[in-house]
Amino acid sequence: MNIILLLIPISLLLLGLGVWAFFWAVNHSQFDDLDTPALTPMSEESDPAAEVSEEPES
Amino acid sequence: MNAERCFHCDELNPASPRLLANVRGGEHAVCCVGCKAAAEWIEQLGLGAYYTLRSEPALRHDEVPDFSAWERPALRRLHVRDVSEERCEVVVLVDGLRCPACAWLIERAMRSTTGVLDVGVNALARRVVLAFNPQQTGLAELLGALAQLGYAPSPLTADMIDSQRQRESRGALKRLVVAGLGTMQAMMMAVALYAGVFDGIDPNVREFFRWLGFLVATPVVLYSAQPFFQGALREWRSRQLSMDTPVALAIALIYLASLIGILAGGHEIYFDSVSMFVLFLLVGRHLAMRARHRASDVVDALSRLQPVHADRREGEHFVTVAIHELQSGDIVRVGAGSALPADGLLLGPACRIDESLVSGESAPVRRLPGETVIAGSHVIDGPVEVEVRHVGADTVLAGIVRLVSRAASERPRLTRLADTRAARFVLRVLILTILTAAAWAWFDPARALPAALAVLVVSCPCAFALAVPAALTRAIAVLARRGILVIDADALEALARADHFVFDKTGTLTEPSFDPAAIEVLRGSREQALSIAGALEHGSSHPLAIALRRIAESAPDLTAASLRQIPGAGVEGEISGVHYRLGRSAFSLSSPVGDESSACDALILADGEGVIARFPMQERLRPGALAQIDALQQIGIGCEILSGDSSSRVASIARLLNIRQTTATATPADKLARLQALRREGHVVAMIGDGINDAPVLAGADVAIAIGEGSAVAHAASGILLASSRLDSLAEARAIAAEMLVRLNQNLNWALAYNLAAVPLAALGFVPPWLAAIGMSSSSILVLLNSLRIGRGVGRGIDAAHSDRRVHAGSGTAGVVT
Repeated sequence: MNIILLLIPISLLLLGLGVWAFFWAVNHSQFDDLDTPALTPMSEESDPAAEVSEEPES
Repeated sequence: MNAERCFHCDELNPASPRLLANVRGGEHAVCCVGCKAAAEWIEQLGLGAYYTLRSEPALRHDEVPDFSAWERPALRRLHVRDVSEERCEVVVLVDGLRCPACAWLIERAMRSTTGVLDVGVNALARRVVLAFNPQQTGLAELLGALAQLGYAPSPLTADMIDSQRQRESRGALKRLVVAGLGTMQAMMMAVALYAGVFDGIDPNVREFFRWLGFLVATPVVLYSAQPFFQGALREWRSRQLSMDTPVALAIALIYLASLIGILAGGHEIYFDSVSMFVLFLLVGRHLAMRARHRASDVVDALSRLQPVHADRREGEHFVTVAIHELQSGDIVRVGAGSALPADGLLLGPACRIDESLVSGESAPVRRLPGETVIAGSHVIDGPVEVEVRHVGADTVLAGIVRLVSRAASERPRLTRLADTRAARFVLRVLILTILTAAAWAWFDPARALPAALAVLVVSCPCAFALAVPAALTRAIAVLARRGILVIDADALEALARADHFVFDKTGTLTEPSFDPAAIEVLRGSREQALSIAGALEHGSSHPLAIALRRIAESAPDLTAASLRQIPGAGVEGEISGVHYRLGRSAFSLSSPVGDESSACDALILADGEGVIARFPMQERLRPGALAQIDALQQIGIGCEILSGDSSSRVASIARLLNIRQTTATATPADKLARLQALRREGHVVAMIGDGINDAPVLAGADVAIAIGEGSAVAHAASGILLASSRLDSLAEARAIAAEMLVRLNQNLNWALAYNLAAVPLAALGFVPPWLAAIGMSSSSILVLLNSLRIGRGVGRGIDAAHSDRRVHAGSGTAGVVT
């Protein structure tokens, strides 16, 4: 049981690290726009239309 | 004959000349040179895929305006943030940014512009953040590049980058995550302790886990729950009991009682419950905040109507200055087609001004020197000189913006009601807790604290606090995803109860159009008739005028003098000395010919000698109109058309849509009277309109629904805005609002029933505090789950395929088109 005396502080340390990383991400505008980045994968290709061409033109 | 639509902007193409743009290996017809240039430039950049990706047509592309004024130091300082010598940032609000494909296009196109270091596009907020190297490019060039793509850019002031809104949403997100992680950890520690209760636990280990629970719950209470404590403090200062006081009180009491529990080494502790309570409340607040932020985008669009620079007279010359440099008493010059920068007195010459922003009247009004003109309205024929009277926050426009933002930030009536109910409830619970503690102290002092705590925990106002906001925010979020923006949450409640829908006809159910092939020319050439008509309708923003100009575009340009608009009748003006009239037959001809029914569905162009040409009007049903009205009538909702148009045209549209109740040739006053009569009969009335000519009518209904294209004042007066300018989701919106109301009542009833059952048991000492904590949590979870069901059952199955029917209003005239 003594192992928890070590593991729990480690888990809390990791938790603190996670919170710090999240705060960093928020402060660096990673969460300001959650809608547009969904489309960015397409912009890496030269012609994304090939992938979505089944979609009807509107 | 089906008229072709523009490949770029989806507007009707002129019959001739036929313009073709070469995009994606094929020729596509476009409506104007501007659209051709935009389409081909997009293709040249290798971005032709935009046309297959997009879900909304682009803005019609007119010529690229001059942005050089943006390079003035005074303007630049205000809008551009200098990060370093080689990096500047600017936030641009982009009109016409309608779908993710636009975001994709802008991002790709701007990245390939020289000097641009970084591009961030937010399609929802219609914002583009540009980072650029000032030594390689300038603000004016960047704006020009955006305009060349076919968008209308307007930079926001630099403080928007670190705006209050951003701080608020970032802070809320951090609090939410800290609360979430803290709750998980606290629960973990609690599980260990609960297991210890059943299986036995070493007192030292138990002590250890208790302190760990304290450790993880402390940030949740001290950091995440800050807004509640601040709110409670504010309420205390203003001596008003609302929701924050009991919530803060409950959080503080449970937290302190648990802390005392550790120190005294006695009874149970509740760090997990308090964390969970904070988490749930924060989730509700976060959702509400996001809905509010979306609504405030409307306000942004409004405040953008005012130009940011003006031509001020300094001695003999006019100098371009930023709008905040203007002072009362300055004289500014405003060119034709430009917006007025400030409220002021017209010095001259007399001109026509489009004040649709404020009055809702689409026909321009004539202003004489000495009369007052308002900022944001457009000068149609200029240039004119204006003496500035009010600037900035004192203008009428700024007042409208304030009005809208207040409506957006005000707490809805339902929430306020629930708040007062919950506050009363909490007051009673607090009294009951004290009574319980006192009573047990009399009989059995050892059980006083556990029993009092059980009452406090089991009756936590959580379920009450969440019942209304959870249902409201869920409904608002579901609607926003379908393109329906709820500006005023009270409107949602009214929409749920609405049993009578009143539609404005022109611009709402139908859009006007002319078929070039159906024009009858009695004298002179077709080209000439079109030129004259186009010149007479120049500058008018009436839907008919816009439709007529569209077909007259190909004809040679003429200029009309002394133009005069007679609302509800037509226009008159002089072209090379000849006096022309264009409008309804009764107006155009001194002695109307033919029977009235056939005469009223054509615009007639005439001079002193008689008819020159007839332009038969067509009306096209808006996409989705038929399906929506069918759907509404199926669930027993009365539909009615209230129109200023002639009875034969209203009747033919009504036949097509199966609407029985119609009122034709109604003036705005008639419309308002009709709405009031309906409300007196006990109906809850929803009015759907574009707000052109009838912003006050919209305000007279229980719930006003405006079409996105309508006037700004209509948006200000309405509670619900259909962002996509389509009627597609009207029936769905009604269904979702009704479901919201049902769920909300279920939530409240559940919270009440639970408390009535649990509190007496807890007071009598039958409920151990740990059971109380479980009961409290599960009652709130039930409320949340119940709210999340909103919008599940409502499908998107309304068939819109048959909605694009073309109608020829009226009967028996030449040129019936299908």
